[in-house]
Amino acid sequence: MTGAGAVAEDAGETDQQVLQQRSAAIIAGIEAIDPDHVLHLASSTLKIVLSHFIDGPGAKPGRRVFAMPREEEGVAIAAGLELAGARPVLIFQDNGIGNLLTALLTLGQAYHLPLLAVVSRRGGLGEYNSMIHTISERAEALLDAAGVRWFQLDARTPVSRWTAEIERAWAFARATHRPVFVLVNLMGS
Amino acid sequence: MTVADLDRADVLRFIDAAAPDSPMVLGLGGIAREMLAVAGRKGNHFISLDAMGQTVPVALGLALGLEHRAGVGKVIAIEGDGSLLMGLSVLSTVGHLKPDRLVVYVLDNGVYLATGGQPTASADIDLAAVAIACSWRGARDVRTADELAAATDWALTTEGPVLIRVRISTAQLPAGYFLEDPAILAEDFRRWLRAQSPQKEP
Repeated sequence: MTGAGAVAEDAGETDQQVLQQRSAAIIAGIEAIDPDHVLHLASSTLKIVLSHFIDGPGAKPGRRVFAMPREEEGVAIAAGLELAGARPVLIFQDNGIGNLLTALLTLGQAYHLPLLAVVSRRGGLGEYNSMIHTISERAEALLDAAGVRWFQLDARTPVSRWTAEIERAWAFARATHRPVFVLVNLMGS
Repeated sequence: MTVADLDRADVLRFIDAAAPDSPMVLGLGGIAREMLAVAGRKGNHFISLDAMGQTVPVALGLALGLEHRAGVGKVIAIEGDGSLLMGLSVLSTVGHLKPDRLVVYVLDNGVYLATGGQPTASADIDLAAVAIACSWRGARDVRTADELAAATDWALTTEGPVLIRVRISTAQLPAGYFLEDPAILAEDFRRWLRAQSPQKEP
């Protein structure tokens, strides 16, 4: 969400309102990229975003939207798409980062493929799962240890900037010839 | 494990000759090294140096991305049984998406040959039946040179995705390590692809 539609996040919104605002901003950012392939993996916090692309306005002719059964498979499919000159975007949540590191480092990083992943955060304030934090709160450290470039969108970045930042991350991946992850917090922190 | 008539190097030589101008994704280890030994460096060969289990997914992405591109024929993946079993879920993704250009060869020697010959689980799995159960358009299981030739003729002229499981021996060609920079491999492949059929600017 950008411009006049953006709402300051300290104005007392409910968690649901924050989720809807941030989801709208993410959708707008991905739509600005205009991907021809959207690869996704199930995530309850990403439900609004995924619904837009699976059976909402984002499911449009010329765009293929499909589930990857595992994050590393999605990375490899996206690698092939990039080699073919396509415009794939990956969407999943951060507890899958551990699954994809080998494929990401031996394909995306090593072959200089500019893959963009939009990754939802879990395991923080507002979390309802009692163990997902054991992987999710280490996401940044895992990516840092792997040398994967990432940017974070949460309450510290006005939601009015999210759309542009996602679009800039796509351009940055291409400018620097490597995978780039955008970590997005939809849970209110 | 049964003794197979076909050696990997002979199968690779045959596939390269049958599809000399097709985009081809080569699995890591012996497949890549032996293809280099029998065919040399070729622009249409995308060589996986280490991403075990990801040969078919990369080829799937290529086949999807090249779906409407003229001047490019079938997209071929050459994968080993051990590597395929590392990411078997891709058979379901391929079956769901049905990329009609995709042809997958699984060279099955029943072992992880590059690391000393430890057994895989392939002997107990009907990979062709698994592909068909995952809604692939066709799959064959071949053991001889004649069967390989017939299956290849069929695969290159029929709508994909199709899978050919080729039973091979554990014979290996002496082939050195291949140490090219993967960024160069990717760019060489892209350059070859652009030369076949320039992509329209978005």
